[in-house]
Amino acid sequence: MILEAFRDHRSRLQKGEFNSQEKKSQSSMILFHISNYENRPVLWAERSADEQVKKTTSGKQTRRSNKSKIFPYDAGEDGLQLLHQRWSDAIPPIGCTSKVVAWLPSLAGRRGGKNNGSLASSALIQPQPVSVLKTHIMPWQVTVSELSWNDLVHLLCFCEDKSTPVPGILIGPDIVFWKDAMRFAGSLCAREQFLPGIRAENKSFQAQWQPVFLGEDKERYAFLMNVIPPVVHALTGLDQESPPKTVRKDLLTQIVTGFMDYLIRSSISADRSMSRQNFTERAADHDILHDQWLNALRTSDGELHGKAKVLAKLVQQVEEYRQPLDRLSASPYRLCFRLHEPPDLQSAGNDALPVQQAGRKADDEAWRVEYLLQQHDDKSLLLPVSQLWNTKNVLPSKSADSGAREFLLSSLGQAAGLSPDVEESLKHSSPSGYVLDIVRAHEFLTQTSLIFDQAGFGVFLPAWWTRKGTKLRPAVHANVKSPSMQASGSLSLDTIVNFNWNIALGDEVLTREELDYLARLKAPLVKLRGQWVELNAEEIRAAIEFWKKQPTESVSVREIIRMKLGSGAPVHGLQFSGVTASGWIGELMQKLEGGAAYEEISPPSKFSGELRPYQVRGYSWMTYLKSWGLGACLADDMGLGKTVQTLALILRDWNSENRRPVLLVCPASVVNNWRKEASRFTPDLPVMVHHGADRKKGKAFNDEVSKHAIVVSTYALLHRDQKHLQEVDWGGIVLDESQNIKNSETKQSRSARALKAGYRLALTGTPVENHVGDLWSLMEFLNPGFLGTHAEFKRKFFVPIHAGTDPNAAVRLRSMTGPFILRRLKTDKSIISDLPEKMEMKTYCTLTKEQASLYASVLKDIEDRIGSSDGIERKGLILATLSKLKQVCNHPAHFLGDNSSVPGRSGKVTRLSEMVEEIIDAGEKALVFTQFAEMGGILKKHLQETFGREIFFLHGAVPIKQRSQMVDRFQNERNASPVFILSLKAGGTGLNLTQGNHVFHFDRWWNPAVENQATDRAFRIGQTKNVHVYKFICAGTLEDKIDEMIERKKGIADKIVGAGEGWLTELSNKELKELFMLRKDMVGE
Amino acid sequence: MGYYDFGYFRPSVPRRVKGGIKAQSKNGSFGENWWAKRWIDTLESFNIGARLVRGRRYARSGQVLSIEIVKGCVTSEVQGSRMTPYHVEIHLRPFTSGAWKRFVDALIAQPYYMAILMNGRIPDEIEEVFKIAKLSMFPAKMNDLKTTCSCPDWSNPCKHIAAVYYLLGEEFDRNPFLIFTLRGIEQKALLSLVHKNAPARQDTENAGRKVKRKSHSVRTALPTDPDSFWGKSDARHDFLGEIAVPETHAALPKRLGNFPFWRGEKIFIDTLAAMYEEASEAGFDIVAGDFGGNEEKPDARIYQHKTG
Repeated sequence: MILEAFRDHRSRLQKGEFNSQEKKSQSSMILFHISNYENRPVLWAERSADEQVKKTTSGKQTRRSNKSKIFPYDAGEDGLQLLHQRWSDAIPPIGCTSKVVAWLPSLAGRRGGKNNGSLASSALIQPQPVSVLKTHIMPWQVTVSELSWNDLVHLLCFCEDKSTPVPGILIGPDIVFWKDAMRFAGSLCAREQFLPGIRAENKSFQAQWQPVFLGEDKERYAFLMNVIPPVVHALTGLDQESPPKTVRKDLLTQIVTGFMDYLIRSSISADRSMSRQNFTERAADHDILHDQWLNALRTSDGELHGKAKVLAKLVQQVEEYRQPLDRLSASPYRLCFRLHEPPDLQSAGNDALPVQQAGRKADDEAWRVEYLLQQHDDKSLLLPVSQLWNTKNVLPSKSADSGAREFLLSSLGQAAGLSPDVEESLKHSSPSGYVLDIVRAHEFLTQTSLIFDQAGFGVFLPAWWTRKGTKLRPAVHANVKSPSMQASGSLSLDTIVNFNWNIALGDEVLTREELDYLARLKAPLVKLRGQWVELNAEEIRAAIEFWKKQPTESVSVREIIRMKLGSGAPVHGLQFSGVTASGWIGELMQKLEGGAAYEEISPPSKFSGELRPYQVRGYSWMTYLKSWGLGACLADDMGLGKTVQTLALILRDWNSENRRPVLLVCPASVVNNWRKEASRFTPDLPVMVHHGADRKKGKAFNDEVSKHAIVVSTYALLHRDQKHLQEVDWGGIVLDESQNIKNSETKQSRSARALKAGYRLALTGTPVENHVGDLWSLMEFLNPGFLGTHAEFKRKFFVPIHAGTDPNAAVRLRSMTGPFILRRLKTDKSIISDLPEKMEMKTYCTLTKEQASLYASVLKDIEDRIGSSDGIERKGLILATLSKLKQVCNHPAHFLGDNSSVPGRSGKVTRLSEMVEEIIDAGEKALVFTQFAEMGGILKKHLQETFGREIFFLHGAVPIKQRSQMVDRFQNERNASPVFILSLKAGGTGLNLTQGNHVFHFDRWWNPAVENQATDRAFRIGQTKNVHVYKFICAGTLEDKIDEMIERKKGIADKIVGAGEGWLTELSNKELKELFMLRKDMVGE
Repeated sequence: MGYYDFGYFRPSVPRRVKGGIKAQSKNGSFGENWWAKRWIDTLESFNIGARLVRGRRYARSGQVLSIEIVKGCVTSEVQGSRMTPYHVEIHLRPFTSGAWKRFVDALIAQPYYMAILMNGRIPDEIEEVFKIAKLSMFPAKMNDLKTTCSCPDWSNPCKHIAAVYYLLGEEFDRNPFLIFTLRGIEQKALLSLVHKNAPARQDTENAGRKVKRKSHSVRTALPTDPDSFWGKSDARHDFLGEIAVPETHAALPKRLGNFPFWRGEKIFIDTLAAMYEEASEAGFDIVAGDFGGNEEKPDARIYQHKTG
């Protein structure tokens, strides 16, 4: 009879009634590589053992002169197609594939085995053999697909740091190298370190852009050359007899050239310019060889046409043309220039006006540029050129130094072409540098040094000089005066205040006279109080203009805060240095910047529970920001209690006169957790869940909302029900797991920003400050406009931080966002002392609709049968039902046993994945206990596919030797298995797993002693961190009710429950029905 | 090698040529450096009147089809009004080896000239060095220069010779060592003379190159150890450093100067500078990486070029 119910379930499944996209199992993992084959990148892949075997045997053994066998883990053409299907955004359509040989490390002396000694690259493809014996290189046939440079660049731009971009796909470890090579090529393009050239191969000629490696690029080149993963050059044709040997230098040049030629060509593509210019000429028109060459530098294939002899001559011309540069770049030396400031004459009398005193002298002091030779392989070896001239004979041919001297002469000659000063210096005997006045010294700092740098010479500048000028510069300073906190009445950020501008050098405000004096100096650099200051005539003039107007401006306090935090934007052409404020504004700003402590407020009345000291601080901080209408992001580590701090905040408001509902948006998987936590800590707060198909809309919704303190809803509904949500005047909006709005363009992010609310709060456990790209969206929700428009943010912060062009950008961004983000780690000293060593919490999960439907069919079955059974039969029936319901709570696939797909079908699995992600991000490890071996298997597979990491699973069938190996690796290898899954029976006792500090009880045995014993695998001597224990409970199910029952009878629980689950069979039919019944309102979508 | 246009024929008008060597200077003097000017001055001192103007025009419109320079001799093909191009030869009297030795002795006494010479430029004072060696660098008198042309013009130099002469002047800008070549010594031989006791410069350089190439061409075999074979996916320090986008473009080609005997219709450096600017932006986008979630990725733009 129960079968019928499942048939019903299956047919509903097929009709797509449950929102899970793909029911077909996609259990195999595909790990892709990019290797070089015949001077071009190709894509190939490995596929995990379960499925690939039958596929690859279908491939015919072609020529086998090197006796290569088919690689058992080769994904084959099907696998490559599947790779494209699973990740079609990034992987190009698979066109032509071919078989090649990959020379891979293999096990020696195991030819007889199933896989002939082949070894996959990852334990996720092939579980590692217990002990890896001696390995040697053997040929294996694999299937490759051609990859154009265009496809490759596109693909690499999608490969981020995660090893699994989408479930079921693993990014090969070699991809890091390809990305680095691409970025290196990109940086050479950006800095214009390339020349046009010609590639000649097999009598075909192509115009080609070629890199030039000068100065530090040579070191970068050497660095990359050393990290080329051997797999990149492990492919050969089918008929090669022995493993390939590769000139890695040539390989890297070829790869970098490939990237650059593609990048440059596509950016100046002739096809593209055709439309906007009159590029009516076609290749055939370029019968002039040189024009043809120039044009071929922008066509897609770069092909040059003509007689081979003529073209070969052009190749030679091109080589001669670039020879002077090639010679320079091949040398082991580098010519460097060091700028020396004038020797510091002890200036007497610090009392004099610093400006005047220094200004007078600066002109006549001699600055000096010194020539030095640096050796590439030992950069600390700097030889002043003057030492090289010491010998009497100027060019002794037999001296060991002659190479250096020759190089010196040659480089000086080249530098002479860039700087007349150098040229002039060469006309004197033994040139070792030159002297320059202050104006030219300034020119050297601002221009010549950059040109030298770009040309591959070394440049050493004084420490006080930065890319943006001297560290100290005249800057505008805003001065705000406001009354003290008590004196002023109702304050808000919208209060308008007046402020004055000052012009200051560092901390010192400049007087009008001083400014006038500086303007008259006309020197680009002056020394003030021992420090060099760059003066820009225009800046000074602007400053004086400014002074004349004596501008007093009026802006809102909000604007003042923006100015203060976002200092750096120029004001009226002058650098902006900051804001000084007194009174209440000063106090406010000090608190925001962390200079003054917040007043700690006690938890609101009727809060049932205790806040730990750091939670009180967090709660006070949120309350403070809220009181100013500023949005806040609480980014505490998982397990530190963001929920309780938030509930305290909401309760405090609810206790006051002004009762308005708070909208709490979270992922569907935690809806019930919020409801449960609220009922525990703030039982007085009426909570409404706006979720599920029968949720209220329109007026009914509004009426209902007005009666509640908290309305819990989900991200999906944020957009779908935007119309209803927008009509409510919310007291506040809280976004839990706010990384859901990290992309500012998504519908849910836009909807979140569109809602009206008294305050805004974001909760997340991820290190927000590390994801620069995501910050704008978060801040735009919390405090709209603070970071400027998206485009401004991109220009001012994102790009400079990513490209490393402005080291201060990250600091500025932090100072702007810091006041609104509170992130505390469990490991913080002040937190650790507040935390108990072991924290247990119940994690409430939500059944999916599909789970609920299965749950109902199991119940229906027992209802039909329980009346007519008794004795042993009844007991058996109850225990079987109990087990089935637990399986349903775990996952439909667990219950059905049909190996169907995992993602999106179980509230517990979804929640576990979310939490594991945070744990992996934090670099910690977890133990997951389940009493079902099948569920352990499902979890292992799912977590492996989701995170691309090998996950250990210890259960009864694992041999002892392997068990101890798992434990060893879990304990000793930082990167081994971030999650250890254990069956309660096999792994609940005896093991020492102190590397894990998160313990999940995925399903329950209802026996605290057993659970505690399992927890003690982590919570024992040797544990250095606080241990978090999460007990998973599906809200509204029997799990929930049994838990309540035990809680109610806590004292006697041990006695009743001690023996396990047998006591349940003693309950009456009515009690059982009550216990098993599903609360419909707790079911998700 | 040349490309001819079989358009209508009119005497006294040279046949239009595609792919001839074109002067890169659109007007004004040929060549910018003093030595180029000195070279041109010599020609213009011959007083051949309007032939100079026509010679200049020929040089600018690309009538010169080819120029080849060997020790002491220039041979060239110039397209005139007849079907067959005229054959032009310019001979300079080469210095004797003894003369060169005197020159090198004078040069070595002042090493900083070497710095400039070694980079393909000639210091202004080089003439002083020649003087010390009692030599004249440029053809000072008719006697030093022997020119012939297969055209029917009775005048020597004729406009064809003048055209070649002008182009050579421009070429001296790029490669002043041509003057040395014309005087009978190659740059490498000159430099090896400087290293009196060392073996010929040419040999040492080649030997050095071979050694270098050898040391760089170490062939790496595949490691048998699986751990190092597949590469490490650990994040690595950012090795790219600060990336300064240049304000002036195509600095490297500008440093190398014009392409030798450029024949294109487009101006070499200008065309490249525009390309470099766009390439620099594209490169920067790649380094800066993508921007947040599903936003338009910089690569997407590039991707579209081909697909779209």
